[in-house]
Amino acid sequence: MEAVTPTPARTSKVTSVEEAVARLVPDTSESLWVGGMHMHNVPMSLVRECIRQGKRFETLYAGPSSSMAADLLIGAGLVERVVCGYIGYEHMGLAPVFRRAVEERIDGVESVGLREVVEADSGSMVLALQAGASGQPFAALPPGLGNTSLPAASPSFYRVVRNPFAGTEALAVEAIRPSVALIHCQQADEFGNGIFKGSPFTDRLLALAGRTVIMQVEQLVDNDQALRYPAQTGVPGFLVAAVVPVTFGCHPTSSHRYYNYDDVHLRLYMQAAETREGFEQYLAEYVLQPEDQEEYMRRVQNQDWGAMRESDT
Amino acid sequence: MSDDYKPVLRPGSDPLVFFPLPGADQQAEIAKGHIMACAIAHALEDGELVVMGANSLLPMAAARLAQQTHAPNLTIIAGASGGVNTLVEPLVPSSGDYANLVAEAVLQFPEVLMLQMSGHADAFFAGGLQVDRHGNCNLAYVGEAAHPTLRGPGSAGVPWAQQSARTILYTTSHTRRVFVPKVDFVSYPGWNAPTHSAQRGGPHLVVTPLAVMDFSDSGEMRLASLHTGVSLEQVRENTGFDLVLPEGDVPTTPEPSTLELRLLRQMDPDALLTVVV
Repeated sequence: MEAVTPTPARTSKVTSVEEAVARLVPDTSESLWVGGMHMHNVPMSLVRECIRQGKRFETLYAGPSSSMAADLLIGAGLVERVVCGYIGYEHMGLAPVFRRAVEERIDGVESVGLREVVEADSGSMVLALQAGASGQPFAALPPGLGNTSLPAASPSFYRVVRNPFAGTEALAVEAIRPSVALIHCQQADEFGNGIFKGSPFTDRLLALAGRTVIMQVEQLVDNDQALRYPAQTGVPGFLVAAVVPVTFGCHPTSSHRYYNYDDVHLRLYMQAAETREGFEQYLAEYVLQPEDQEEYMRRVQNQDWGAMRESDT
Repeated sequence: MSDDYKPVLRPGSDPLVFFPLPGADQQAEIAKGHIMACAIAHALEDGELVVMGANSLLPMAAARLAQQTHAPNLTIIAGASGGVNTLVEPLVPSSGDYANLVAEAVLQFPEVLMLQMSGHADAFFAGGLQVDRHGNCNLAYVGEAAHPTLRGPGSAGVPWAQQSARTILYTTSHTRRVFVPKVDFVSYPGWNAPTHSAQRGGPHLVVTPLAVMDFSDSGEMRLASLHTGVSLEQVRENTGFDLVLPEGDVPTTPEPSTLELRLLRQMDPDALLTVVV
């Protein structure tokens, strides 16, 4: 019997970084969650493009552990409220812009527009995200958090509920479904089937919970890659609104197995951002002025891109 | 790509190849980092499960050392990256580093948190901007909530350390700025927390560049041993509250044995342990 070829072609989700942000991120979104963790797997090209296009976010979920993405977005004045699990640079130090935004605010009002820091924790944020992905209204927390200052500090984030089974009190957090979720996979096919070549961090859950998921990838691969090893596809394509291929797009954070974080550039940023003027200059030079990733890479002076490229899989 | 996909360390997967830390090539005789790693290692037991948080160079060195000496069945989870029983070598400063995935299994980060929140872990490691006499830790801010003088990174996963059987506190800076009478924000609850039991939840050990501390029966921080060359006066001057003193002479923290030092240097050829403190 002759094989029948399906006639309609499947639609590719491959999009340029400019178009993905312009088309899929509203000018003002309720909330944003950026994937990756610490200085790893952070889709920085998408973050820089959001800043270039002046996209505003009422709430930024900075967890489980965020670093430069949160710092840049806050410094650019695009975030009103941050739910803070962790913003910092591990062994490299504290987040300079986040620090200044909080420490130098006058009468509770900070000039960059950050109006509220909700003190939170990574575990509760991830349980809230899981509730969001599952359609649960809230997530009850394990016992113990009442021993900390968190519930009293953030009564909008942590609420007391009654455990109907034991009849005792428990703390709960409201489900989180970020309006926009930006994630990074090292590889994906044109339909958005994303493959993690290293740690998936929290990004599989984030892809399930996010209302609009944009995936930045280092390398486009053939659909065969997904078909041949489907268990390695961490994010199935139907969850993804757009696939954005950007070489070295996570710089200066890492893309697992492709390149490591650039701590020379991170230090350059952290030192520049010590002052407001320094931060503005960095923002202009590395975020606002470069028209594309190639221009950004040209401006990153110290990097031997060729040497990094050889580590491609 | 084949079915037996095996992560391989490549040039570029170790920051130190491209971006050497200042002084990383200096091999001190016995560094504070070596003494601290050994002190933590001695507190870990065979068959236990330990979970690393962020910035975990010291506990990672300690747990690897314990595996190679007295605790071959210790299980290590490298926090951020999710690597289980990582063979990371050379040691790297970032817990999320790809190098940690030379491992037996890779967990998603939510799974790491689930293990931590459900009390699976025998030991977790914590620290912070401030640590007080009861072992409360603060990672949020110093000062008043409305006008902090120092904004920290946030509480991260540290509140859930209390679910572990034991929590080991460590800090690379032993000063009055860190060791305060009372923390300004409780990210991790010490022994004065309302629902701690004597068996579970509170901190058990505090390891610093100057000394090792434990806790008295009433849950107050107690000096356990002084590192070689450190005086009692020095510790007092750098601690913002009165430490409970042990009965009799204060012991000296054991120096790393020849074997321990060799193992530490082997896993840490870049000598990060000599510059971390």
